[in-house]
Amino acid sequence: MLDMRNVSKIYRTTTVETHALRDFSLDVREGEFVAVTGPSGSGKTTFLTIAGLLEELTHGEYVLDGVDVHGLDDNQRSRLRNEKIGFIFQAFNLIPDLNVLDNVEVPLHYRRGIGAAERRRRATQALERVGLSARVRHYPAELSGGQQQRVAIARALAGSPRLLLADEPTGNLDTAMARGVMDLIEELHREGATVVMVTHDPDLAARAERNVHIVDGMASGIIEEPSMRPAVRAQGEGAFRIPGAED
Amino acid sequence: MTTLRPILSALRRHKIAALLIVLEIALAFAIVSNALYIVVGRLQRIDLPSGIDEPGLVLLQLATAGAGRGTVASAQADLAALRAIPGVESATAINSLPLSHSQWGLIYALHPMRTFSGGVQAPVYFGGPDLLKTLGVRMLQGMSFPPSAYRDLTPQNAFKIFVAARQALITQAYAKRLWPHANAVGKIMYMGETPVQVIGVVSNIIKPYISANAHDPGNYYAVFSPFRAAPDLNAWYALRCRPAVCPRVLKAAAGKLQAMHPTETLNAQESFMHMRQRYFRNDRAMAWLLAGTVLALLAVTAVGIVGLASFWVQQRTRQIGVRRALGARRVDILRYFQTENFLLATAGIALGCAAAIGINVWLMAHYAVPRLPILYLPIGAVALWTLGQFAVLGPALRAARVPPTVAMRAA
Ligand SMILES: Nc1ncnc2c1ncn2[C@@H]1O[C@H](COP(=O)(O)OP(=O)(O)OP(=O)(O)O)[C@@H](O)[C@H]1O
Ligand SMILES: [Mg+2]
Repeated sequence: MLDMRNVSKIYRTTTVETHALRDFSLDVREGEFVAVTGPSGSGKTTFLTIAGLLEELTHGEYVLDGVDVHGLDDNQRSRLRNEKIGFIFQAFNLIPDLNVLDNVEVPLHYRRGIGAAERRRRATQALERVGLSARVRHYPAELSGGQQQRVAIARALAGSPRLLLADEPTGNLDTAMARGVMDLIEELHREGATVVMVTHDPDLAARAERNVHIVDGMASGIIEEPSMRPAVRAQGEGAFRIPGAED
Repeated sequence: MTTLRPILSALRRHKIAALLIVLEIALAFAIVSNALYIVVGRLQRIDLPSGIDEPGLVLLQLATAGAGRGTVASAQADLAALRAIPGVESATAINSLPLSHSQWGLIYALHPMRTFSGGVQAPVYFGGPDLLKTLGVRMLQGMSFPPSAYRDLTPQNAFKIFVAARQALITQAYAKRLWPHANAVGKIMYMGETPVQVIGVVSNIIKPYISANAHDPGNYYAVFSPFRAAPDLNAWYALRCRPAVCPRVLKAAAGKLQAMHPTETLNAQESFMHMRQRYFRNDRAMAWLLAGTVLALLAVTAVGIVGLASFWVQQRTRQIGVRRALGARRVDILRYFQTENFLLATAGIALGCAAAIGINVWLMAHYAVPRLPILYLPIGAVALWTLGQFAVLGPALRAARVPPTVAMRAA
């Protein structure tokens, strides 16, 4: 599903070069739930921006759902993002001028061949899925943080993406709301979604099937619960292999 | 794809700013369409044909210091001397000139009238047998006055003589006004209760003083009468010459008149083209002024649009990044802002249409401005739509360049 090999990302400014990712490899399979942990500044978000096609990588290979993204132009990347990826952001990132329903419809506007009725149907369904059918006419500012994040998740689901990418999805929430959102993400995973989630919180990371720990731009280790799902694999400097975890 | 509904609902959340820009566009539209119409009207006036063969006509006016010093007899002597100047092809005295601002107006009607109500006003031109030829006005139908018809017009006998004239030539435009469906030659019109027979129709000649409306056919109403004119009644001398020699002829003529009348002064000595220039000087100035105002107003409107759009782009940087992350292409972002501007402009234009008509009604009531032709509304609309699209392009392109990573990394 998500296959990165020896990916590096270098941010160049006039004075400094930051190696935000170095020789990073990760293979996430369909239906997997991977948590990415690591200290601040280690490159977690950088990994997500590359995985989510928001930025281009500097070196290496990245195949997303069978598509080698190398050399794709901006329009093709936009289209791929739209079709294959659902984003969940730490700051929710709902559009404040649009009500809940319109927010959830946004990604569907950028997909070809979906009419207004179909957009409405899918958005409504996604909102039902996150338990917010009663709030479709509300504006983001009228919702709690937890509700806003649920709307954002509905927005990510509306386009039926192949892959959910979440950057600290509970980082802006208090414990109770965080638990609710986390439960929802877990449910989605159980229903078959492929989820890659960046988090600081070891407790949350523990709820994933597999943890990838990034230090200084490198995947430095895998903390793993082999009992849940053996068929995982991560490669990269410092990564170690789970015995019997081959394809 | 951009659909209108979400754009509209987002605008609804920014009512004040949206309303201000809509009002600005409406005001610009209303003023621009009216001003444009006035400018075009002025330019059309400036371009109106005079009906005179202009390039070869020069004019002089002798200011006589008292009645009896510029008589018809002395005018005949002056004209004989002027005709003798090399290059002069014909010369005449004339009571008043097209585009000279001062006219002898009379009213004629189809039936005898006790009062002068109900007739159609027209300026009267007269001067002598060489008048038509010197001006370059052509006979179209009928014939001109026989030489014996001409009478001398003096300050003492003016009214009596006027009333005694029984024959007239009229311009085509005036003929059409009085007898739209019939040949005017031979017809009788009435000056008060005095019958006057139309003996010929001549080509149109413009009035000494024309209406604000360039298309007013009344601008070409005129009646010619068989009188000889003289400086005592502020007559001009008009000389026809080849254009190339006109400046020299004018100088020689002025010298000759001064020599013949050492105690009088020359009120005017100029070419007809020059007189025409002077006549339309205000129109030209007004056209420039209004054109300048229109440009300034459009510039201010453009600046307003650029300002608001820039502000909105900056304010929405984050959501632009989010839209990009969710799959919007650069062109989708560009189109979003262009569509938004198009909607604002359309609202402004719709409101502006009402205002434009309002302003026009007010102008019609207070100034001699005719009804705004409906054509100016689409012209103004296209102008403001275009202006809006150009003004919003810069900010919209900036918006399209917002990188999708903005969604992930707090701006
Ligand atoms: N656009 C950029 N230009 C230059 N350097 C950047 C840019 N984006 C990120 N970096 C650098 O890359 C490194 C990795 O950043 P990244 O945001 O991926 O870290 P992170 O693991 O997500 O940290 P946190 O846990 O604080 O969110 C950091 O040193 C950061 O300063
Ligand atoms: Mg981060």
